[in-house]
Amino acid sequence: MAEKVLPYLIPRLRLVLEKLKTAYPERWARLEEIRLRAEQPLQVEMGRSFLVTPAGEITDDPREACLVRAEDVLRTVQLMGGNSLYTLEEELREGYLTLPGGHRVGMAGECLVAGGSLLRLKRITSLNIRIARELKGIGRSLLPYLLQDARPLRTVIVSPPQAGKTTLLRDLIRCFSNGDGLPAPVKVGLVDERGEVAGSYQGIPQLDVGIRTDLLSGCPKRDGVFLLLRSMGPQLIATDEIGGPGDLEMIEEILNAGVGLLTTAHAWDTGDFAVRPSLRKLWTRGLVERVVVLSRRLGPGTLEGIWDGRTKAPLFSGVRRLEVER
Amino acid sequence: MKNIGAILVFVAGTVIGWLFSLLLQKRVKLLQSLIQCFQWLETEVGYADLPLAEACGRISRRADPETGELFASFTAKLNEARGLTAAEAWAQSLAACQDRLALQGEDWALLEDFGHTLGSTDREHQLNAIRQTLEKLKLQAETAAAFRGKNERLYRYLGMAGGALIILLLY
Repeated sequence: MAEKVLPYLIPRLRLVLEKLKTAYPERWARLEEIRLRAEQPLQVEMGRSFLVTPAGEITDDPREACLVRAEDVLRTVQLMGGNSLYTLEEELREGYLTLPGGHRVGMAGECLVAGGSLLRLKRITSLNIRIARELKGIGRSLLPYLLQDARPLRTVIVSPPQAGKTTLLRDLIRCFSNGDGLPAPVKVGLVDERGEVAGSYQGIPQLDVGIRTDLLSGCPKRDGVFLLLRSMGPQLIATDEIGGPGDLEMIEEILNAGVGLLTTAHAWDTGDFAVRPSLRKLWTRGLVERVVVLSRRLGPGTLEGIWDGRTKAPLFSGVRRLEVER
Repeated sequence: MKNIGAILVFVAGTVIGWLFSLLLQKRVKLLQSLIQCFQWLETEVGYADLPLAEACGRISRRADPETGELFASFTAKLNEARGLTAAEAWAQSLAACQDRLALQGEDWALLEDFGHTLGSTDREHQLNAIRQTLEKLKLQAETAAAFRGKNERLYRYLGMAGGALIILLLY
């Protein structure tokens, strides 16, 4: 998977990372992020943060590491944008873009502001290349908890960053959509506002989200959910991370429509979830029926438990790492 | 024998003159074809919002073979994934076509200038650069056409006259 991002890096950094890949194949398989910061050492997240030397060795000493120049970051952005920055105006406003293969690249730097609001990034100095993982089958063991009389429930996956919530969400969508591990498949409507779940590149999903999934990419969640409910007749609505101001209203609409929901939220556990201003009502009013909590305790994708959103009782507890089941 | 030689020299002179006049004609045609290409590029960037590789790929298939080659070479370099930026790919493509296109120094300078901001600015600036290049190309085409009108015959006659002069000198 991760190799697919290499052609979008400038040759010098590509070469270094190729050496890294050959030198540490096992760690490379767990690569989560590649970080480029102007005038800072090249960094990779492989279990933890490492610096990379020009020879492709890992190190903790910044003096030995390969220096990323401001020019390298700019050129890499140009390559990622197909050498056509003018097609990236939306992306430069949002601060991220998607590569073929569904890998997301976050951007930061100097901003262009007009009238007090952000127009777009002007000079990009930081890049965070997040490797999308496709682990088919990791969600299968959770399916029995997320159904009632073969009807998908309203579920939210809660986890801190980098604990695999998008990966789990993607696989659950695929399972529901393909009927993998279910009595019957389910029609899924996916609103992928940030393009992270399906990893769509030029409108085509790069990651497997199942055969009965209608994808709405780049669309604001609330509008997207209304559109899908009206036009596509889904039995399950899936969206990427919730937590914005309009999201409660959106979930109420899903409740009214009587369809299932599958989404994710940023929180450490159910307690944290219950105090987040934008999420609190979901928990206190029991709008979601299942809360799946992930952590990084045993590595990314550690299942901490599943709670019933109405009774607040744990349905499953006992920490274990989600694995790919064949 | 001498007569045959004289005829050959005369014919050669005429052909050289004629070739030079043909180059003038070709330059005008090329500039017009480039104008067409840049007008397409303006549409592809401004309205169709296509990335450069796709836009120039389309243009290369629609354009005259000679200008098409320039755009095809540029597209190929962008798609090679060797890490070239658009500006570098454009400069290399221009260099690769330099021997084959009957353009002059000013024409090349104009095209080289265009490459500097290629792909690295927002839409507005990109369109501005395309429009500016278009204006300059039009001007260049007008001058080239006027130059051709004035000098096309002159070149042919000069060729013939040159041939004749050599014969006279040698006789």
